[in-house]
Amino acid sequence: MTNNETPQQERVLGGDIIITEGVKKWFGDFQALKGVTTKVKEREVVVIIGPSGSGKSTFIRCINRLEAHQEGTIIVDGTELTNDIKNVEKIRSEVGMVFQQFNLFPHLTVLDNITLAPQWVRKIPKAEAEETGMELLERVGIPEQANKYPGQLSGGQQQRVAIARSLAMKPNIMLFDEPTSALDPEMIKEVLDVMKELALSGMTMIVVTHEMGFAKEVADRVLFFDYGTIVEEGTPEHFFTNPQHDRTKLFLSQIL
Amino acid sequence: MAVAVQQHEKTPLWRNATFLKWLAQITVLVAVTALFIILGTQAFENFSKSGVSFGFKWLTDPTGVDIREGIDTSPDSGIRALSVGAMNTLRVTISGIFAATIFGTLIGIGRLSKNWIVNKISTVYIETLRNIPLLVQIFFWSALAITLPSLTADDVGTYWFKTSNKGFAFSWVFWDGGFWPWLTFVIVGAIVGKYVSRWRHRIQEETGQPSYPGTFRLLTILVFAVIGWFAWPLLSFLSPVWHWIADLVANLPPMIVPIVVAAASILVAALWIRKFFEARRTPAGFGKMTDDDWFRVIFAGLSGLIIAVLAFVIAGITITTVAGDRVSIPELALIGLSNIFDWLGNSFANNGGTPLVFQQPTVEIRGAGFVNYGTTGMVMSVPFFAVWTGVTLYTATYIAEIVRGGILAVSKGQTEAAQALGLTRSQYLRLIILPQAFRIILPPMGNQYLNLFKNTSLGIGVAFADIVAVGTTIMNQSGQSLPVVLIWMAFFVTGSLIISAIVNYYNRKMKLVER
Repeated sequence: MTNNETPQQERVLGGDIIITEGVKKWFGDFQALKGVTTKVKEREVVVIIGPSGSGKSTFIRCINRLEAHQEGTIIVDGTELTNDIKNVEKIRSEVGMVFQQFNLFPHLTVLDNITLAPQWVRKIPKAEAEETGMELLERVGIPEQANKYPGQLSGGQQQRVAIARSLAMKPNIMLFDEPTSALDPEMIKEVLDVMKELALSGMTMIVVTHEMGFAKEVADRVLFFDYGTIVEEGTPEHFFTNPQHDRTKLFLSQIL
Repeated sequence: MAVAVQQHEKTPLWRNATFLKWLAQITVLVAVTALFIILGTQAFENFSKSGVSFGFKWLTDPTGVDIREGIDTSPDSGIRALSVGAMNTLRVTISGIFAATIFGTLIGIGRLSKNWIVNKISTVYIETLRNIPLLVQIFFWSALAITLPSLTADDVGTYWFKTSNKGFAFSWVFWDGGFWPWLTFVIVGAIVGKYVSRWRHRIQEETGQPSYPGTFRLLTILVFAVIGWFAWPLLSFLSPVWHWIADLVANLPPMIVPIVVAAASILVAALWIRKFFEARRTPAGFGKMTDDDWFRVIFAGLSGLIIAVLAFVIAGITITTVAGDRVSIPELALIGLSNIFDWLGNSFANNGGTPLVFQQPTVEIRGAGFVNYGTTGMVMSVPFFAVWTGVTLYTATYIAEIVRGGILAVSKGQTEAAQALGLTRSQYLRLIILPQAFRIILPPMGNQYLNLFKNTSLGIGVAFADIVAVGTTIMNQSGQSLPVVLIWMAFFVTGSLIISAIVNYYNRKMKLVER
């Protein structure tokens, strides 16, 4: 691959890395997912949009089993997600996740936040983990904050630390659950820039977001969720210029 | 700008916030001091008028108090009797705090359990016990224990564990002749163990391989304990050294005591002030001091000076001992210190025996057909059992709710983030959830420890020989109610402050760094 040297070049997608088949999920009486079937290819960037309560967050939380789906199958990188704890732990260590509320560990320094999982899950020596941690902080642009605590950072900086923390586990797939929704407008760009750089470097990404600009610019495919199903999917070009479904048209007319 | 700003008009004194703040601080300080002086002199006058002699002579006078349990059941002086009571209070408090913490934490986690039975049992336990007055619960445990069968001549023998309406007797480990020298070995082992643990940590950080620092630390202490078990007589050479220091202390000129105390108090005040200034120093230079800051500095300085002066004033007071000698307070302090070194000297002397002995309780016939537990083993009397069980189970309900609240207060996102990184359940509980929950749990937990300590005084309801019960007896015998009450208050305040200090120390250590 030459993606890193020539980021403008079209990324070459690989084989299917995530396969979901009729995924259903209930919260009590409420059915959040009503049979979601889709496939994500290696190095693909998929953006999920949709109104709140449409099940888009629930769907990506099922992919690393923060929520357990009740029907259907989810296969991530050849491993099926079942009740088997070992499979779940394997997938979680290969799939990174970034949350709307950052969820940094407030009692640990920025660098400790990043090096914790590599040391305890991957059993990497502390010195080596810190070296990687500092490289990642360089990559997200805040190496000078390494020894501060999360409470001392701005929202945008915290979210970049959260991305670095996930990357430290060297994941194959990154899930983003509304990563910019809790940020001040001027901080959104610094986080989106990091995500763009990550997409261009060939990371497989599923991003739940309301940032249409990001979807247009970076996504290979856009999924539109409503009432727990995929209403419409397609390339950003198709999606934003020629939507087929009435629900999609209504949604786009309201947000654009 | 058309707005006229009247900046240069001088602020009158009664509108000056700085002046008013200082005025308030000084007024309160003077008022409180004056109040204490007035109350104190008034009380003394009233006492001398009413003919009640207010004094502490009963502390050293022989007393006829018999105490049911404790380190000394027939103490020879008032102070000795009160210290037996105080020891009993502390025994219930310390063992109660440990038991209530462990039990309360388990119940608190149980209430969060998804297991229906565990969850419901925990809930019922909490809702029942915290809604019954503690005194009633203590009466209940006492009444329950008294229904146990009594000891008869058939029970005579040696036991591992024996229950009866005389209490619970169980096997226990007691210290013996070589305990203190052996303990020295163990303490040295603990210090060495700390370095061993650091060394193993370093290896783990360098290689990434698990190097078991905790296990190594325990092993080190164990090795020292085993060596010490056999080698403790080697330390008996320290015995004459301690005695020599005791002699030295006893022969020091008494004036040295107020000098040392005064120097120490001024030093502490000076160090505190220096630390205070250091804390306000920023990279840009010395930080701006607020009025409150200045007040604290001046208050600290004055306190140091006043204590220094008081040390010399008190040094002039003499009291009469049991033997009728008049000794000054500094002499008394030196004698006390010398006694401690003499005690160390005796403890380190090789009088045979082992560091620890294991004893089983016995049941014996004492006197004419009077059956009771023998002197070996540990006997938990019915009052002790009632108070201990009462305060432990009662406090545990509150601790359970605190633990539950603390764990719930750590946001769900923390668990999710840790799970998403692939940490296992035990890893994220230990590394992420508990450190954060602990910090929320600690301050209210300290309150519960204080409550437990103070609630042990309810033991008087079942005649538990704590400091309150013993004090009441002394009060009735000597007629000295106020001095006894003052000693109770001083005891509980001191104990509570020590507990608070320990909790606050950990609290400060755990504090989150915020912006």
